[in-house]
Amino acid sequence: MPIFDQGYQHWSGQMSGRAWRWLAVTRQGIRGGLKNRFLRYVLFAAWVPALALVLMLCMWGLLERRSSLASTFIQYMSLLQPGVVADPQHYRADIWRLSYGYFLQIELRFSMVLILLVGPNLISQDLRFNALPLYFSRPLRRIDYFLGKLGVILAFLGMVVIVPSIVAYVLGLLFSLDITIVRDTFAILLASVAYGLIIAFSAGLLILALSAMSRNSRYVALCWVAIWLISGIVGTVLQAVDSQQRRYAYYSQISVARPNGRDFDNLPRAERDKQWRAYRQAREKATEEYRIAELGFSAHDWRPLVSYTANLSRLGQQLLGTDQTWKKLSLLDPDQNARDLLLATYMGPQYPWYWSAGVLTGLFGLSACVLNLSVKSLDRLK
Amino acid sequence: MCSEPFGKIAGPAEVRPIVAFHEVSKWYGNVIGLNKLTIQIPAGVTGLLGPNGAGKSTLLQLATGQLYPSQGTVRVLGQPVWNNPSLNRCIGLCPEQDAFYEWMTGWDFLYTSARLGGLSRPDARDATGRTLDAVGMTTHKGRAIRGYSKGMRQRIKIAQALVHGPQVLFLDEPMAGTDPVARRALMDIIQRLGSEGKSVVVSSHVLHEVQSLTPNIILLNRGRLLAEGQVRQIRDLIDKHPHHIVLVCDASRKLASRLVSWDDVEGIRMLPGGKALMVETRSPDAFYGRLPQLSFEDGTEIKEVYSDDDNLEAVFKYLVNK
Amino acid sequence: MAFESGGEPQILFQLDGVTKSYGAVTALDDLSVTVPPGAVGLLGPNGSGKTTMIRTLLGLIPVDAGSGQILGMDFLHRQLKIRREVGFAPENECLFPAVQGVQFVAYAGELVGMRSKDAMQRAHEVLDYVGLGEARYRKVETYSTGMKQRLKLASAIVHDPRLLILDEPTNGMDPDGRQDVLQLCRDLSHNKGMSLLFSSHLLPDVEAVCDHIVVLGSGKLLAQGNIQQLKQVHNQCFEVRVKAGAETFAQGLSALGCSIEARDDILLVQIPEGRSPQMLWQAAAEQKQQIRYLRSQRSTLEEVFLKALEQK
Repeated sequence: MPIFDQGYQHWSGQMSGRAWRWLAVTRQGIRGGLKNRFLRYVLFAAWVPALALVLMLCMWGLLERRSSLASTFIQYMSLLQPGVVADPQHYRADIWRLSYGYFLQIELRFSMVLILLVGPNLISQDLRFNALPLYFSRPLRRIDYFLGKLGVILAFLGMVVIVPSIVAYVLGLLFSLDITIVRDTFAILLASVAYGLIIAFSAGLLILALSAMSRNSRYVALCWVAIWLISGIVGTVLQAVDSQQRRYAYYSQISVARPNGRDFDNLPRAERDKQWRAYRQAREKATEEYRIAELGFSAHDWRPLVSYTANLSRLGQQLLGTDQTWKKLSLLDPDQNARDLLLATYMGPQYPWYWSAGVLTGLFGLSACVLNLSVKSLDRLK
Repeated sequence: MCSEPFGKIAGPAEVRPIVAFHEVSKWYGNVIGLNKLTIQIPAGVTGLLGPNGAGKSTLLQLATGQLYPSQGTVRVLGQPVWNNPSLNRCIGLCPEQDAFYEWMTGWDFLYTSARLGGLSRPDARDATGRTLDAVGMTTHKGRAIRGYSKGMRQRIKIAQALVHGPQVLFLDEPMAGTDPVARRALMDIIQRLGSEGKSVVVSSHVLHEVQSLTPNIILLNRGRLLAEGQVRQIRDLIDKHPHHIVLVCDASRKLASRLVSWDDVEGIRMLPGGKALMVETRSPDAFYGRLPQLSFEDGTEIKEVYSDDDNLEAVFKYLVNK
Repeated sequence: MAFESGGEPQILFQLDGVTKSYGAVTALDDLSVTVPPGAVGLLGPNGSGKTTMIRTLLGLIPVDAGSGQILGMDFLHRQLKIRREVGFAPENECLFPAVQGVQFVAYAGELVGMRSKDAMQRAHEVLDYVGLGEARYRKVETYSTGMKQRLKLASAIVHDPRLLILDEPTNGMDPDGRQDVLQLCRDLSHNKGMSLLFSSHLLPDVEAVCDHIVVLGSGKLLAQGNIQQLKQVHNQCFEVRVKAGAETFAQGLSALGCSIEARDDILLVQIPEGRSPQMLWQAAAEQKQQIRYLRSQRSTLEEVFLKALEQK
């Protein structure tokens, strides 16, 4: 027939399985997120630490092989840590662990920014434009909807945390050309991926719950800033206030008194300098003692739990095992005091990791409850 | 002055309620709203029609003094309406948008509107009660507006336009969202207001509602006045489209052969079913005049006769779509 | 199963004793109704339970009591499958935000389970059908009301459902748009074999599209049936309009034994038994009147509806 019906045509085609329904929601969310130009800039910027990580791992691989390409790097490192450079294979896992540790700390901050850019709109825009009847009048369960939206967060955070970790690992492996590395460092890769997933699920569900509570994504963004930055500030302030008290307790125990008074001013200059020096030395010693003691004190300190990001980094610290690395590195120094000082400077807070895990699990549960209550099925929707 | 609270019988008005636009133009930046519109709206119910973007809302806003015309003058009840708050007591507006103080109850809202309309406290109380009764919201008057359904909100909106007993009413889509029962009640109210001598302008897209309210219409298109007057008279003036008259007869083909011999019949179409035919003619008067004779010529008894494009829908379509 | 051997369902949907309450308010009260396929209008005053019934049919809400099936599927247990075969265009304004028109419809299809390529192809096809031309490449927030309604309709039929449920589809549209949408609905239900459940307050719209109506009131079924059968024809009653001089004409007719009632500009004439309308023509010829309108008196859908409500 030469003339074809332009009217309505029937359609019968294959449907994808119900298990993949959430993928449609995720794809739509990613497309929407990528339209935001700031998000693209942040994604771009978040890959810079990844490049730094790759560089570090590759350089270390070249160092192990004593390759000429890394000569400047080796010289530089020998100045800093001769002990480590002398026996690179022994310290291989530790260097990798530290590199990943710093990388993940930076990417944690980037993750929070990414969530600020992409998270608030996820559910609150659907509420504002009243899209929920369109969703739920289709064969889509609530769980598919939530998983789909969570998938958006997972995708973006995966792009900045998990994918760079894996790529860096593979490249570092290639540059060292030594298969035994896998035995030493595979746990690090697993830990880093697990950490990425923990951040994605915990922060993702939290931002979804916040997003479901308001139609205005600006309020949601403000809440997120409160949870991320302000809780961090509050935690730091609490800690600082508390530890300052202890610091002054140490200072008050100094045997040498602070030079003061009319008698002091009348003394000759040499005498005054000598007394000042003595005082300063006593103070420095007291400060060192204070810092070493703080490390022990932090084993019982609950104050860091107030900060959301601190909880996440505590878990990351535990998963990667950076504490053991620092302990091992500190053994390079013969002096006990110097060792303790190094540990006190570089190790993270020492309170049990399951406290943080508990806080995060609690938040997770709370978010799930809020989501369940705020996004109801069409039973109660107008 | 010009308003009695709703429900009281108005005394003889000294000034005939008239809304008068004289060569009014209004543009927003470069976008034209109304283009040299001259019109007088008399007492009674008038329908205001037009496709989207025709300028209906602009006309209503100009007539209620919310906008100042770029050219021309707008007078209501003989006075210019811009910057004339005392004239607002004689004007009632039921806008299309849905915006209320959600925390107020229906009774509160209406009482406040009545007081703002210039009624004294006891008068306002009476008027509120009567208006609530008239729109059928007495049972729900104690509930906050945020709990109202769409139809209830619409009825409260109309009530606030009526409560201070204005002489001129502008209703923009008054029946949107109301169910047929409420619709009938509102149509009765509007027709009663029209017959009391008030001037009611109803702007609506639902043509059959406007048709059942009033035969007087104003048709706008692209900001200009397209037609004004009674629907049937306008139809008679449309030359381009011949009238379609449907005849139902058992012997329809025989009737058709009779009709073809008439000069003023321009076309005949047999309708599906075999019992009806449609005649196109440009002189309906002459045609109708000869029908009774035709009916009792042998065997062509006409069972039904009606014109299927003598209504507002057809007039609208012919005029707007050219 | 409600299928005949030929594969055509004889029942569109069926509810048996369905009850649903929200706290103190009973939305559906022991509702039992069986509806044949085709274009069905759903009428009822505000608060009569129409929205609740639609949601029950879609399997979106749990009911307190009762059972039923829609397109042969039990709505208590096969909810997701039902929504695959049913398209729903809700009443209020709803959009997927910040997308183009064609992405909107394709996304709607993907959510039902279509593959993304199928969904995009089908989206374009369906947008051609509803009449959204170049506008489909613009963002949906820039659409006028009429275009949004068409978009909603398109997204409801993108997965080729067997039943299309429309809740006030012509809300806020100008007369041209309204005619177009009604034309589309008529075409879908009469020519393309899609059943339609049309819920609206505008009775002429319902009459233009549907053959069958269901009237609800306070959660109960007040009336249902074929529209033409419900509108009773009064055999000896006619509506007459003359060009001028209606009163004299009326007097002339009552002299001949007819009973006359005047309503607006129409005369309701009841002619005596055994006479035919020819007598009206004779009277017109004698009095030199032009009869411009002559039809058997039939109740309008509005009268049917109001009568059904009164019987409550």
